Amino acid sequence: MGLYLDSRLEFLRATQNSDGGWGYFPGKGSWLEPTAYAMLAIHGRDIAVCDRAWKLVGSWQRPDGSFQPSGEVKDGTWVTALAVTLASIRGGGVRDEDDARVRAAVDWLLRVVGAEHNLWTRTGSFLHLIKARLDVSHEGWPWRDGNASWIEPTAHTLVALKKVADWYRPAEVADRIRDGEDLILSRRCTDGGWNYGTPNMLYVDLPSYPETTALALLGLVGRSAREFPGALDYAERSRAETKSSLGKAWLQIALRLHGRNPAASAEIAWTSTDVMLAALEALGHPQGNYGLFRSGGRA
Amino acid sequence: MTRRKFAVLSSAAVVGAYGGMKLQPAAKPAKLADGPPGSSAVAIIRARSYSDDLVSRMLDGIRQCGLDVRGKRVLLKPNLVEFDPATVINTNAAVIAAAYEVFERLGAAEVKIGEGPGHRRDTLDMASDARYRAAIPKFETLFTDLNRDDVSPVPNFAGEREFYFPNTVLGADLIVSLAKMKTHHWAGATLSMKNFFGVVPGSVYGWPKNKLHYYGIPESIVALNRQFGRKAFAIVDGVVGMEGNGPIQGTPKPAGVLVMGSDLVAVDSTCCRVMGIDPEKVGYLRMAADLGHVRSGRIEQRGETIASVRTNFALIDDFKDLRLT
Repeated sequence: MGLYLDSRLEFLRATQNSDGGWGYFPGKGSWLEPTAYAMLAIHGRDIAVCDRAWKLVGSWQRPDGSFQPSGEVKDGTWVTALAVTLASIRGGGVRDEDDARVRAAVDWLLRVVGAEHNLWTRTGSFLHLIKARLDVSHEGWPWRDGNASWIEPTAHTLVALKKVADWYRPAEVADRIRDGEDLILSRRCTDGGWNYGTPNMLYVDLPSYPETTALALLGLVGRSAREFPGALDYAERSRAETKSSLGKAWLQIALRLHGRNPAASAEIAWTSTDVMLAALEALGHPQGNYGLFRSGGRA
Repeated sequence: MTRRKFAVLSSAAVVGAYGGMKLQPAAKPAKLADGPPGSSAVAIIRARSYSDDLVSRMLDGIRQCGLDVRGKRVLLKPNLVEFDPATVINTNAAVIAAAYEVFERLGAAEVKIGEGPGHRRDTLDMASDARYRAAIPKFETLFTDLNRDDVSPVPNFAGEREFYFPNTVLGADLIVSLAKMKTHHWAGATLSMKNFFGVVPGSVYGWPKNKLHYYGIPESIVALNRQFGRKAFAIVDGVVGMEGNGPIQGTPKPAGVLVMGSDLVAVDSTCCRVMGIDPEKVGYLRMAADLGHVRSGRIEQRGETIASVRTNFALIDDFKDLRLT
């Protein structure tokens, strides 16, 4: 596979915690987010490693169907979407033991909406009283229930829902997918990309960021690029220019998912301690598992 | 409710882009609280350039404030916000490097650095871009990304039965708020108290930390300082601050000072006066007036006088009425 991919996968294998999960950094406690990306990167390459991790993730599901971000944090959050994606890739809807788990998580995701989608702010928007250029007609998804919707949790939830769309609550899932994609389209920055979800504040246009541009494109996989003209070219330029390793990694994944073929990164060994970054860089490699973010179930 | 207030509140409810507010107007106390007994020392030390001897200046200011850090585990908390070394968004690397050396020299048991940016996730690359890695030896071993640290619950915070904070923050004996002197388009000014937003972990609350916007920016600033203010010290980087549409899109404003002290309310009130802002009109300072001193008569100004260093920072229209007369 080459030094680049091998060294990142080896780093991930070496840093798996004894409970089966990964911390954001080696030696730290396990969190669902780095565990999810590590599992995706390793998926299909080491079944035992992923099975141990999935056992831990499953233990973090809450009675309301949501997943908590770590063993310590006793609240369900946006990481529920990552758990649905993982379960689907592992065979959610196919394996009995995961089926109920996925259904409960999807029910939670369908219940949660961005808090700005309420009568108060929609009325304010209608009366042009909101000091921002922002469409609040879409529901989207927040980081935590009760907060406003943002690009990153919305994008991950779209990935998750597209994986269950053909077998669970299809009409409602399809409606939320369409609306979530429209939210992303409506929040594009004037420079061509996306930031975390506010293209304009106090009537000042705000700049996009590489990582959130990539995540927006991740959420839009399946939509025609004609609906976001120039965004992929912008993403390619952003990938070349950004100083953010995280931004580059996400853009690598997003561009491949949209059919672009960005040049592979140089064959340099992994030297950082950032678990999430290692996993994302491995995912975005030409031989990486970036395709797992596409719709459809078991890969 | 006035049309203007509705507009502001609606905007805030929608976004909380770089800030925000909760839906209900903040309950402002009718009368400014007197604050705790006694007075607070705040040192204003001149530093016209980042190439000045900042170590000596900080040592001077800390000595004037009577801070003893011997044997303490110290966490330096800069304000790291954005990729862009050409701007003045972030606390300057020279200030952090000097603070690291100062607290080592003063006998701290350990000195660490931690930050959890509000809307960028790539903290380590941003620290490199802000030249923190270059300026501070062994930066990688000293730095914790507070957004992705392990966490522990604290009871009854910000309206939640349990609120999670990074273990690095909870384990520190002294948190040094190395803030930047900036105007802020929601709060009026962002200084040492607002800098505590960076201790709220994104891994739990997201990017931006929207929970704080819904709880209310002034309310969150005060709650964070109620939680951590007793083990805090402030060094505000006003060598070059930011005016206008801060905290990100404003313009550089040299003020040529470092402002420091153990009473963060008094430090921020002093910074406001240096910036030509009336602290008694700043919502979160009014709300925090039981935690520390806002009134000038209760602040022992050490080092330079306010009058000798005052330089009016430009204010956006929404905050014109904050101007100190």
